[in-house]
Amino acid sequence: MNLRQLLFRLPLYLGASGSPRRLWWSPSFDTIFSVGSWRGQSSKSPAHWNQVVSEAEKIVGYPTSFMSLRCLLSDELSNIAMQVRKLVGTQHPLLTTARGLVYDSQNSLQLRGLVVLLISKAAGPSSGNASCQNYDMVSGIYSCQRSLAEITELIHTALLVHRGIVNLNELQSSDGPLKDMQFGNKIAILSGDFLLANACNGLALLQNTKVVELLASALMDLVQGVYHENSTSAKENYITDDIGISTWKEQTFLSHGALLAKSCQAAMELAKHDAEVQNMAFQYGKHMAMSHKINSDLQPFTKEKTGDSMTFNLNSAPVVLHQEFLGRDLWIKQIREAQEKGRLDYGKLRERIKAGKGVTSAIDLCRYHGNKALEALESFPPSEARSALENIVFAVTRFS
Amino acid sequence: MYIKLENEVMCIFACRRFHHTTPDNKTHSGEKYTDPFKLGWRDLKGLYEDIRKELLITTSELKEMSEYYFDGKGKAFRPIIVALMARACNIHHNNSRHVQASQRTIALIAEMIHTASLVHDDVIDDASSRRGKHTVNKIWGEKKAVLAGDLILSAASIALARIGNTTVISILTQVIEDLVRGEFLQLGSKENENERFAHYLEKTFKKTASLIANSCKAVSVLGCPDPVVHEIAYQYGKNIGIAFQLIDDVLDFTSCSDQMGKPTSADLKLGLATGPVLFACQQFPEMNAMIMRRFSLPGDVDRARQYVLQSDGVQQTTYLAQQYCHEAIREISKLRPSPERDALIQLSEIVLTRDK
Repeated sequence: MNLRQLLFRLPLYLGASGSPRRLWWSPSFDTIFSVGSWRGQSSKSPAHWNQVVSEAEKIVGYPTSFMSLRCLLSDELSNIAMQVRKLVGTQHPLLTTARGLVYDSQNSLQLRGLVVLLISKAAGPSSGNASCQNYDMVSGIYSCQRSLAEITELIHTALLVHRGIVNLNELQSSDGPLKDMQFGNKIAILSGDFLLANACNGLALLQNTKVVELLASALMDLVQGVYHENSTSAKENYITDDIGISTWKEQTFLSHGALLAKSCQAAMELAKHDAEVQNMAFQYGKHMAMSHKINSDLQPFTKEKTGDSMTFNLNSAPVVLHQEFLGRDLWIKQIREAQEKGRLDYGKLRERIKAGKGVTSAIDLCRYHGNKALEALESFPPSEARSALENIVFAVTRFS
Repeated sequence: MYIKLENEVMCIFACRRFHHTTPDNKTHSGEKYTDPFKLGWRDLKGLYEDIRKELLITTSELKEMSEYYFDGKGKAFRPIIVALMARACNIHHNNSRHVQASQRTIALIAEMIHTASLVHDDVIDDASSRRGKHTVNKIWGEKKAVLAGDLILSAASIALARIGNTTVISILTQVIEDLVRGEFLQLGSKENENERFAHYLEKTFKKTASLIANSCKAVSVLGCPDPVVHEIAYQYGKNIGIAFQLIDDVLDFTSCSDQMGKPTSADLKLGLATGPVLFACQQFPEMNAMIMRRFSLPGDVDRARQYVLQSDGVQQTTYLAQQYCHEAIREISKLRPSPERDALIQLSEIVLTRDK
């Protein structure tokens, strides 16, 4: 069975119905399938976003959807896919993560790799540096830059998988048997470690110690960012930590911005671009990632039809901003008022938040970062790739 | 090298001879007795403080978790080998008694990679204690423990990158892959008896010996341009690493029988069939079924232990460890004589005779 066939069968193995996202290079699909409702959320992924991504993938020459899965699925020794299959029917988060990797979602999971490829192409070859002449270039991108894009996705996916580890002493009977969770944890740790090991090997092959240092430090940032996500997530009474928007920005940079920013910078380093170009790439990556995250945080508040049961993250940008405007005491009061018998009525709380300034403020912040990203792009020569990067920014900063 | 020793193992299966070593105060080098640990430590003063500096992050709880095992209480077996190997290679190359900063950094990196893998292993094995204290996962939970392991690994990678040598980076990233593959090998099991032993040795190499072998190789690369020396360093590390693990596996059976009270048999409880078990199975084929089901039925662990203690599994495994040690000594003896080279020879003897 070749890799493509395996990828198409994977959703069935994972016990999900529906089809994976449209692959533009596959002639058997004519229409774009929208995201299935297996997540319990109704989400209309805008055809516009898919179009932006599709166009971008054509520019870089191939679909980036399954970059980090290649090593997982083709490695017989680890046979991770088979191990994950054993989790079907359990409640372990790894299963959800695995499904998300195969399916498209609002947060197109292989976006980082795509951006790294685009910015590599947009920057073009470094002027007058002979040492790059040994690298082969396909579709305007060096093979080492393609490798870097894959490594970026590997690191991102590894931590995505590690985020799904479960604390055993917090399990409830509704989570199912303990041994399922233990097994799930085991596979999640090993899969994540396997992805990281592949990333490290890939980095070593690039034969560039500065790039290794950049990506290693990005990994360190990401780990800290994920740690913060865990720590500041709402406790039992839904009262979140008192963090202001500037702390939120720092933590979000760590968890969402650092990897893309440093990867973009590393892509420039590989092509031997100067410090100024590297910095512009860094700034694009950072600000684009921030606006993307804020956009994702805003979805529960800006979409027209949202089910009342749809939950949202109490540490997301609009909520943090809302709290800042309101003041801590009033915010806690609102949370308490929205609770009924210990359960939070998200619909009610959402209305309170929408009535405040948090949402509009978050939209402004999203656009602020979007503009900074566009500014950074101005120093790159106009090209298809640059336009694609601009389109990505436009797509994440628009709220109809 | 591996294949040669595998043939020896096949011989063991065939004729089951074993061999005593009488304890001896004289080392192979014939030199006066000195403590290799003390000798190695001379270059490692401040090792743990320096590791903690690499873990300097602002997030205080995460930092605390990551620093938890770098408290100076570990044996630092790996850094000591690395430090001694660095000197032995430098002296061999040009009689230099200087250790480069980058070589010392390898010692840090080796200890960090080792610790990161321990933190993850403890979550995988649901271990409650290590080195006499509670494990990171028991104190802070599994989610955070996994992140702490990732943090240590990332810090090690940054330190590795800063050395600025792409060959060394390649050598040590291989270790990271081997560690993961070793864990995967442990997840699976083999039907065929002969395959089992090869599988066990491969797992032992990947999980234990690879780190030591490649760290030794890395310091030799930094100290000396001769590929023959790199290979010597690698072979020493590999052989002593395997021996170390084999003895560890023996101690899991023998250290309990000397004590009153409940034996540990940690490996059996994890479903692992190590050297002593695999040898015992030769004499007691009824163990096969238990091995295949990974000692999961009630009473399996105790029965397996009894079989092992009745058999010569322990002696066989110890003999095998001796062979690996002899190989390590043979290799390192090719280097120019020095106190450090002799300390490395002594270390391999210490590996055999330790009792935890």
